[in-house]
Amino acid sequence: MEVLLGITGKDFTIICASKAAMRGATILKASDDKTRNLNKHNLMAYSGEAGDTTQFAEYVQANVQLYSMRSGTHLGPDAVANFVRGEVAKALRSRRPYNVNLLLGGVDPTTGKPSLYWCDYLAALAKLPYAAHGYAQYYCLSILDKHHHPDIELDQGLKILRMCTDELKRRLPIDFKGVLVKIITKDGIREHDYVDDKQILPA
Amino acid sequence: MADRYSFSLTTFSPTGKLVQIEYALNAVNQGVTALGIKATNGIVLATEKKSSSPLIDASSSSKISLITPNIGMVYSGMGPDYRVLVDKARKVTHTNYKRIYNEYPPTRILVQDVARVMQEATQSGGVRPYGVSLLIAGWDDGIEPETKAGEDAEPEAEKLAVKSGKTGGILKGGPSLYQVDPSGSYFPWKATAIGKSATSAKTFLEKRYTEGLELEDAIHIALLTLKETIEGEMNGETVEIGIVGPPEDKLLGYEGVEGAVGPRFRVLSSQEVEDYLTNL
Amino acid sequence: MSSPFSINGGAAVAMVGKDCVAIACDLRLGLQSLTVSNNYPKIFPYGDVYLGLTGLATDISTVSDLLRYKVNMYRLREERAISPQTLANLVSSSLYERRFGPYFVSPVIAGLNHKDGKPFICGFDSIGCIDFAKDFIVSGTASDQLFGMCEGLWEPDLGPDELFETISQALLSAVDRDALSGWGAHVYIIEKDKVTKRLLKGRQD
Repeated sequence: MEVLLGITGKDFTIICASKAAMRGATILKASDDKTRNLNKHNLMAYSGEAGDTTQFAEYVQANVQLYSMRSGTHLGPDAVANFVRGEVAKALRSRRPYNVNLLLGGVDPTTGKPSLYWCDYLAALAKLPYAAHGYAQYYCLSILDKHHHPDIELDQGLKILRMCTDELKRRLPIDFKGVLVKIITKDGIREHDYVDDKQILPA
Repeated sequence: MADRYSFSLTTFSPTGKLVQIEYALNAVNQGVTALGIKATNGIVLATEKKSSSPLIDASSSSKISLITPNIGMVYSGMGPDYRVLVDKARKVTHTNYKRIYNEYPPTRILVQDVARVMQEATQSGGVRPYGVSLLIAGWDDGIEPETKAGEDAEPEAEKLAVKSGKTGGILKGGPSLYQVDPSGSYFPWKATAIGKSATSAKTFLEKRYTEGLELEDAIHIALLTLKETIEGEMNGETVEIGIVGPPEDKLLGYEGVEGAVGPRFRVLSSQEVEDYLTNL
Repeated sequence: MSSPFSINGGAAVAMVGKDCVAIACDLRLGLQSLTVSNNYPKIFPYGDVYLGLTGLATDISTVSDLLRYKVNMYRLREERAISPQTLANLVSSSLYERRFGPYFVSPVIAGLNHKDGKPFICGFDSIGCIDFAKDFIVSGTASDQLFGMCEGLWEPDLGPDELFETISQALLSAVDRDALSGWGAHVYIIEKDKVTKRLLKGRQD
């Protein structure tokens, strides 16, 4: 019941992840951050098996940052996405694969173009205008299909995100403890103060 | 004191030379002369087959080897090293090429592979360089050098050649002749010689070589060149000739298969050599 | 249902025409019945030879990247573009190298021979057995439907325009009867000195 959502717009990418850390049916924590900053303009959100997720995220984060230190340049969103896919794919056919699903949000600092990559634990990679992982896909993709346009402004993007999170609260059987929302623009990554305490009535 | 700095056989001398490679070249320059001449429609490789004793059965030893159906090789220098290189050349032909692309490598690719084997012996520990120079002759499918646009049998391919704008490869076919040295460096030649009398043989070839040579002329010149340098008697037993010529479908061992093309490279029989010698 | 070949869905087809060849693919990427992307092309150019890959999405990326590397190395080493036949053998040997842990892909190749300009198409199973065909090659979750459509529509010596119509109608009709493929298509018509790429919208449901 982990939620990962991503929406791109004119000059931004929104990444949204549920705050509940779960083990089986138990919620261990209600303020979990399922994202990692890979560099100034790339954010990765992850879900999946408990140990694998953070292990993998930190490994990727360290390597993307190592690249910047060695070369003095930053990897762009496309390069980051293909690197991460490569690592998931390499592990997939190893003795112990990573069981992680990923969303990679970024903005190309030179062109200002936003990007969003969807990558599942099988290392299937797709560049998308909006994406989700897990059960959230079934509830949110249809909403996004209807309301999303590639050139929306940030406030419209957040409005659509609200529709999505409301729907998730309404229909998911387990409370995912609200979502953490991060926004990537050409200025970098920032956390968005997402008011999440409103009661959503069941349909 | 000097030997304190002789860490390995493959260490630079203070003058910037790798003396082991020079010694290997010395071994080559003491070797029996071998030569190659490129013609328009083929290539000839020739060498002297010296035997230390009249009891040697010359007909069952050979210095010119087939590497692929279209590529042959001859050497000057140390015989045992050559045999090892022939084995390795035949092996890389398959591992690096035929088993991947299901076709034999073009001559240049094979030359590079053999050259790599020889170069590695100049930079690895515990080994010595190969004491041979090689002449590698091969024929590649593709457009032959003298074919001009809109003039010959392959207008289709010619147009594609213009389109892709690439040099060499499929588009550049025909004969080629390379020399590979113990250092791993290689050179393309129209005609050349290696071994003991290489210098005089090359001077002779410079005088005799002309553009637009045919294979039969090239064989003739090869024998004349060899005659200048040879020490013993010249006959079918003491001279060895390998040719890259037109496809020999007879050598396939079968017939009636559409599209099957015979090998271009073969070593001439002693009788054939004898025939050429009588016409000299 | 959980066969690796049908998790993500997708379809590809290649056809021979008169002095031309065509190759086409759908654009869907899915997870079982859920569509994740409707812009996931499955045809990759290697010089003037084209490779279509259907099957498990991760292996489509892995195999296409691997072959890009191998073909680039070939071009640098040999100073020439790879021919369709040579690429076919390269694909075959690369797949067979993973005989006991295969890539779950069904590749299709289309191109014109460099020397004589003759059309060449072929397909493979996931461990590299080459299927040479004189008419058409199909692959993917809609392969049964594609067989039927190609069998019905294809005829010898189609010109580039007729070939485009034939391959497009064959693919579009085939994917309409397959829940796991569709959402538009890419069609390449390869002629001696021209390659035309067309994007077909197709049914978006």
